Amino acid sequence: MKNFLFGLLLVGFNLNAQTNLPNIQLSNLEGKKVSSIADFSEKDQLYVFSFWATWCTPCISELDEINDLMSEWKKEVDFKLIAISIDDSRTQKRVKPLINGKGWGFDILLDTNQDFKRALGIVNVPYLIVVKNNKIVHIQNGYVPGNELDLLEKLKILK
Amino acid sequence: MKRNILIILFCFYSFLTHSQQNENGVSGGFESNAQWYLNDKGLKDEFNNTTTQPEDPVRSNNYLFVNYLYKKWSFGIQGESYTQNALLNMNQKYNETNVATYFARYQTDKIDITAGYYYEQFGSGLLLRAWEDRALGINNALRGVRLIYKPAEFITMKYIYGQQRTGFDVANSKIYGIDFEIDLKKPLNLNISDLTIGWNYIGRYENLDLPVQSFDDLTNAFSGRINFSHNAFYINTEVSYKLDDAVVQSSDQVNNRLVKPGNALLMNTGYSKKGFGIDATFRRLENMSFFSERGAKGNNFNDRLMNYIPSLTKQQHYNLANIYVYQAQPGVFIDGDGDEEKVRAGEIGGQLDLFYDVKKGTLLGGKNGIKIAVNLSNWNALSGTFYILSPQDYQTDFLRFGKRYYTDVNIEVTKKWNSKWLSAFSYVNQYYNKNSIGIEPGIVYTDILAAEATYKFMSNKSIRVVGEHMWASDKKKNWASATVECNLNSKYSFYAIDLYNYGNEKEYQRNHYYNFGGSYRNKSTRIALSYGRQRGGLVCVGGVCRNVPESSGISLSLNTSF
Repeated sequence: MKNFLFGLLLVGFNLNAQTNLPNIQLSNLEGKKVSSIADFSEKDQLYVFSFWATWCTPCISELDEINDLMSEWKKEVDFKLIAISIDDSRTQKRVKPLINGKGWGFDILLDTNQDFKRALGIVNVPYLIVVKNNKIVHIQNGYVPGNELDLLEKLKILK
Repeated sequence: MKRNILIILFCFYSFLTHSQQNENGVSGGFESNAQWYLNDKGLKDEFNNTTTQPEDPVRSNNYLFVNYLYKKWSFGIQGESYTQNALLNMNQKYNETNVATYFARYQTDKIDITAGYYYEQFGSGLLLRAWEDRALGINNALRGVRLIYKPAEFITMKYIYGQQRTGFDVANSKIYGIDFEIDLKKPLNLNISDLTIGWNYIGRYENLDLPVQSFDDLTNAFSGRINFSHNAFYINTEVSYKLDDAVVQSSDQVNNRLVKPGNALLMNTGYSKKGFGIDATFRRLENMSFFSERGAKGNNFNDRLMNYIPSLTKQQHYNLANIYVYQAQPGVFIDGDGDEEKVRAGEIGGQLDLFYDVKKGTLLGGKNGIKIAVNLSNWNALSGTFYILSPQDYQTDFLRFGKRYYTDVNIEVTKKWNSKWLSAFSYVNQYYNKNSIGIEPGIVYTDILAAEATYKFMSNKSIRVVGEHMWASDKKKNWASATVECNLNSKYSFYAIDLYNYGNEKEYQRNHYYNFGGSYRNKSTRIALSYGRQRGGLVCVGGVCRNVPESSGISLSLNTSF
């Protein structure tokens, strides 16, 4: 019985290789409200949304790594990286000083009560999605060193 | 019955999956955490008892969430299944397979209406936060109606009404709330980065039917906040006030003995620019425990919790730094169990964070720079006058510190040597007053050293090694820990961890808490299998904790999204 249901589940999500992005309201570090749909709808632009938190070490390694490589990558493929912090109000105050301390050069958005994370069925961070024309075209659940190279290859295919 | 519900849920889900159109979409996720608890003769507790498997040794927590988008509408449903039973020390109310939450939502630029279960947070959550954390077994969503209305781009109004989820049911009370937020930058045409003000009200109506009652069934609470930032500088303040209500000192003991208001003050300021950041937080809490049923205070499962009062300390990622963890103390306990040390009415304290990036090419920074993070936090009881015998009462001083609960001083230095080698070094010093926060007698002093190194080779392989040691004054004394993690490629990882309490005063309790496991990841799916021992104690996420017992066994977890 359980196996049958689980099989059904697998069939289900294979049919959905391209899921529409839900419309979620996020805010940037200046408190401005940003829509996950309207503000990222440039035609054929690749958007990489990386879900992270200040307390998540692999998340920070991943973003550090991509930050170091970004200028090189952009010669090969055009994409925009947006780091979505799922920090709740306990740790959210650390986001701004931490990213400035790190010197990261990409946009940061706050998903304070984790609405975006929940709508996408994300269990743990790090979690990364690639979005094109408001559709999710690639997902990477978790991060280990070297995954950033897989991402670059994927972006080249998707561009 | 269980089966029928599951089948209906899956049929609904597969119907949605197959009826998907271009403009619409189905998304969701599935998560399963299963554990097979085993007997373990080698793992002994304080009283020299071995660890035995519980009733229903195979247990799992399973969640299936499906979301369907149709133009401006969205519909969602979450089914949960705890079979044969929920994982150890979860809320006993999680005991079946059933639909747990559902909602229908309509969203435009101006209006957003949800009927059914919804999650919400007002300000930083001092009065209201409805959220889900599966690892902690928290799902305190509200069931009712929420309206978010934006009359102008810079104004957000929220109106909520609902009953709070508890297990597969809702609490016996009604929650009302209003929140206004105004972004003043635009209407006032200010030349600053951000100026936002907010105000909210929360009402909780719980009819108790006490024969004599010296407080209202409806408890009112208000909160105001202001956020200001300009370029590299920012400051935020939030003040909350909860009007007179019965002070509950032990679970399910609601009476007229002590009726008091509560309040909270939260201030945060910081300055940051490229390569440097500083952030300071001050918080004072007095009688700020807030539950959807008064008697729920002191329950062990964060059940019917209405507000979010996390401990404002560093969320440590090293194993040994997570043994003596602090939990915030918003509540009142004048009874004190006859021990004056335990008498308390809240907490006062703060936290300071410093981030500094030593630039590349400097003498200290070397070729790749060095990243330094320093964190300090200190929490005390409120100072005041406490009348323990009847009539019970207290008066607190506003800015004076009482006995100390907790201090944590830590520094972390991360250095990337080249594209292959990365290393980090950490030192943590803690003061932990177990007695005053009501755990057990004693004060613990710790010093923790941790060092780790990651080596990457052949583009996608890496190995990470961590060594930790803790000197502690507690009866469990010293600990050592080692972790080895191998990432074979982008899909497979393996790890081995051991925490060894080699210094324990009781020789039979010098336990090894080992764990071996591996995981497989592909796109949105992650499957992990492990075997080992779980150390008993607090497991915390986001400053909120759950107590877990010692156990031994095999665990399997799977999560995927679609």
